[in-house]
Amino acid sequence: MKKIKIIGLFSVAVAALTMSGCGGKNNPGHTYMPDMGYSRAYETYAGHDSTVITTNPADRGGKAIFYNAMPVAGTIKRGELFPYTLPNDTTGYRLSAKVENPLKNMSVIMLPEAERLYMINCAICHGEKAAGDGPLATSGKVPGIANLTSPLYAAMADGTMFHSITYGKGFMGSYASQLDRKQRWMVINYVRTLQPAPEAKPADNAASQDSTVKKG
Amino acid sequence: MIRYRKFFNKAFASFLFILFISFSTSAQDGAALFKANCASCHKIDADFAGPALKGWKDRVPGGDWIHKWVHNPSAMIASDPYAKQLFEKWKPTIMTSFSNLSVEEIDAIMKYVDEFQPAAPAAGAPGTQAAAASQGGSDNSLLYGILTLVLALVALILIQVNKNLRKLADDKSNIQRGKPVPFWRNKTYLMAFVFVLFGIGGYVVINAAIGLGRQQNYEPIQPIYYSHKVHAGTNQISCLYCHGGAQDGKHANIPSVNVCMNCHIAIKEYKGDPIIREDGREVNGTAEIRKLYSYAGWNPDKNEYNPDRNGDGVPDGARPIQWVKIHNLPDHVYFNHSQHVVVGKQQCQTCHGNVQEMNEVYQFADLSMGWCVNCHRTTKVDFLNKETGEGNKFYSIYEKFHDDLKNNKMDSVTVESIGGTECQKCHY
Repeated sequence: MKKIKIIGLFSVAVAALTMSGCGGKNNPGHTYMPDMGYSRAYETYAGHDSTVITTNPADRGGKAIFYNAMPVAGTIKRGELFPYTLPNDTTGYRLSAKVENPLKNMSVIMLPEAERLYMINCAICHGEKAAGDGPLATSGKVPGIANLTSPLYAAMADGTMFHSITYGKGFMGSYASQLDRKQRWMVINYVRTLQPAPEAKPADNAASQDSTVKKG
Repeated sequence: MIRYRKFFNKAFASFLFILFISFSTSAQDGAALFKANCASCHKIDADFAGPALKGWKDRVPGGDWIHKWVHNPSAMIASDPYAKQLFEKWKPTIMTSFSNLSVEEIDAIMKYVDEFQPAAPAAGAPGTQAAAASQGGSDNSLLYGILTLVLALVALILIQVNKNLRKLADDKSNIQRGKPVPFWRNKTYLMAFVFVLFGIGGYVVINAAIGLGRQQNYEPIQPIYYSHKVHAGTNQISCLYCHGGAQDGKHANIPSVNVCMNCHIAIKEYKGDPIIREDGREVNGTAEIRKLYSYAGWNPDKNEYNPDRNGDGVPDGARPIQWVKIHNLPDHVYFNHSQHVVVGKQQCQTCHGNVQEMNEVYQFADLSMGWCVNCHRTTKVDFLNKETGEGNKFYSIYEKFHDDLKNNKMDSVTVESIGGTECQKCHY
């Protein structure tokens, strides 16, 4: 009889243990050794101990270590293009037309990658063929989407396009966080392949005439 | 007289006809011109990037104001008081100049605007009852359970009948037997019971132990009800638009708020199909977008970011959204997204399921080691074909194997050959 009691108790304990393991879909459940399951190391997006690490340079010194994951000012990655220095204002926009495209003679081999970047980041509004007919444009969700194949944009300088992608323009936000400088130039080169060949030399003020500049 | 009248009738009819033709062409031209030049910023009966055009005649000063404005808005803002007033309302956006449109073309467009009738709303919009339709009884476990019970009952009755019959037979032939042992003292029954209990207990314990640290189907409540179905499904936004880090490194980023604001500067309210939570409540999409604005420090009424008065470099009130992480790998496993997405050319859906059909994302795979290793075992390495140039250039570094194969130094390339079973590949 005793044996039966022991077995019964044991099975109840097992059932209880199992039940405690599942806590619904809003609960990640239990883990062996949570120190290992959830990283203690400095991982992306992981919280960190604010008494040890500070992101505010003013709190530097003492026990706090200053770290904000930003590159040191004035440094660039090896092989990276130089920073774009024109300011985000009307003067900067006007001067941007004179900025030289460093990838002017981009190899054709890079076009498929440029196309891929265009499809991911731009085609959602500007359309697969840059005619301003992407899914968000045709559904009327985002207004003011440029038809990049129109004469206005065919005549626009590379530098002005770069300025607009970097800082945003009209209803378009800045794409500096999604495309690095080289990728932005690659995308511009790809857009050029979608535009019709220019018929005549455009008037040199064509780009500055365009007046939908944001943040004047 | 009759002849004259006939002539007059004919003339009148043809005049009407010509009038009709010219009228309809100009209206059609107006529609086409409107669509080509204006529609990306203007709607006729609602404000868009620019003001609604309906009723323009009552608002703008008369004369050829509209022609001058369309031809050169910037100059008008500098000189004309009404244009200045318009600019104050809509700044910093200024209308693009359309010097290529002739006066007649502008008139055609404005005529189209005046005659435009909004399409009548479709009667009887489809209800949402269909979505809530009950799921069919595809689950048969209840049926099986009832069947098992019935069979067990039948077995019990048969055993009892057998017992009684044997007793009757014994009585008839005068055989004396000992008092029967009740089944709870019967050692055979007890042993069987212990074995069954041991089996079930072992199964449950082992499964529970394996499940520790795994969180398949984990679906946490996020700070904003963000529907992947609406964004990646309905609006066809590429996964990499927001999670671009998957191409470049270990992590597929969670997008920062500025990426959300790329579109949500313009998209202020949710107008799509109703989103229904699992508990049947409808999600208020517009309220969720408002939550985003509060995180971004954006003022949707003034259409601008809050000023940065406290000098921390971001608009006042702006703060990161603390999304709840779903997929978690322990510290002793290294996983790199770019290795799988760029080099291995895997689709996101292979591991994350059909995210474009999920409103709230849940963990699709169990992320167990067996799951990883099984995929590594079955996935074929896409070697570069030198003749066609197709295939994965990354694997050209394994060219030595091809040469060795040709020279009969090796007979096949195994996963082990390219390091697929090295422990340190994932654990270091």
